Amino acid sequence: MSKDNMYSEEQIGAFTDGELEPEEESQILAESERCPELDAQLCQSRKLKELVQHAYREIPQVRPRETRGLRRKGLLSLAAAALVLLAVGLAAGWLVSQSYQSHAGQATMTAHTSPVGQENWLLHVSSPDPATMQRALDRARKLMADPAAHVEVVANEGGVNMLRSDTTPFAKEIRELSEQDVLFFACSRAIQRLEEQGVHVKLVPEANTHYSALDRVVLRMQQGWTYEKI
Amino acid sequence: MGVLSGVNQKRLFRTILANSRGRLHRMAYAWTHDSSLADDLVQQTCFQALRKQKHLRDIDAADAWLFRILANCLCDHRRARREVLCEETPVSIDARTPEREAHDDQVALRVRKAVNALPLAHRQVVTLVDLEGFTYAEVAGILGIPVGTVMSRLSRGRRALRERLLEANLNDGTDSVSKVRKIR
Repeated sequence: MSKDNMYSEEQIGAFTDGELEPEEESQILAESERCPELDAQLCQSRKLKELVQHAYREIPQVRPRETRGLRRKGLLSLAAAALVLLAVGLAAGWLVSQSYQSHAGQATMTAHTSPVGQENWLLHVSSPDPATMQRALDRARKLMADPAAHVEVVANEGGVNMLRSDTTPFAKEIRELSEQDVLFFACSRAIQRLEEQGVHVKLVPEANTHYSALDRVVLRMQQGWTYEKI
Repeated sequence: MGVLSGVNQKRLFRTILANSRGRLHRMAYAWTHDSSLADDLVQQTCFQALRKQKHLRDIDAADAWLFRILANCLCDHRRARREVLCEETPVSIDARTPEREAHDDQVALRVRKAVNALPLAHRQVVTLVDLEGFTYAEVAGILGIPVGTVMSRLSRGRRALRERLLEANLNDGTDSVSKVRKIR
């Protein structure tokens, strides 16, 4: 109960939050006309709420998502094709350069969007167990039997060992799957943690990095990809 | 509202989730005052939400449901670190360079420090009500506590904030009072 009036702190807070029944709200408003102390308390309560809202209107921003070294044989081929077309376009003139723009546009689409109506899979490996890694690679290979499928393999925690050139027993298989357009991602934060422990991390050439494995997983799930923890 | 089963419902949910991400991050930051941890909690929340979306029966309740997952993720994080609610570990507000600090809104920093000094249980209730405008009943559902507990935590949290931010200003000179007046 407040010192000089009949309303408790909880009631004053509930008034500020619009939680009171209309009748009780009217009573408080009428009372505040007669009682300057209550009026001041209501003002203070409102001010406090606004201060809290103000304090969190601008907060430190989320780090930008970083994906580094996006590599895929198919994309490289498309990029190479685009470069060839560019050269032809420069030599042959406007007509052929129009063709280049069309092909370049296709390459961008492939890189950044998930085609509608096709099967998209994200396989997540976090275990350092080679048997788990083998299962992930086998699963990726099986999924890629469907020509419409898109597959990404994301590794974090101990699973990053699968993509480290000095620890992986699967370099050949990763290369083969990469040639079939399977994308491999290592979690940058897992790499950072290893390096803080003095481990020099070198990834296989086919591996890309994303600043957080979970962020990559969420990104793809939001795009409708199917998530599978191996 | 029906069960989120159809493709359209799933798309709608993903849109809601994408649009909620900034608000979830703001709340996670208000609870932890650590932008990196807040980012992790939001990622974990989104991940859990996407995996459990079939359990969300009412799309209108998605908002409170997401914040409940966020609260659970923070709880799991603290449990993993063996932190107990009544044994608060003071957290310093994000490391900042002096140059950045000088450009920041001093009023906002002062309020954040006061909010950060509250016990987490009070901090969560105050910020869910004040920043997101959740009703007391919704906050009770998000945190899994009775409405009466929401009200008492809110009251105690606000009393502490008032003592730190408003009543202290009235007694300790004009400097901070004038800073508050700048935003009015």
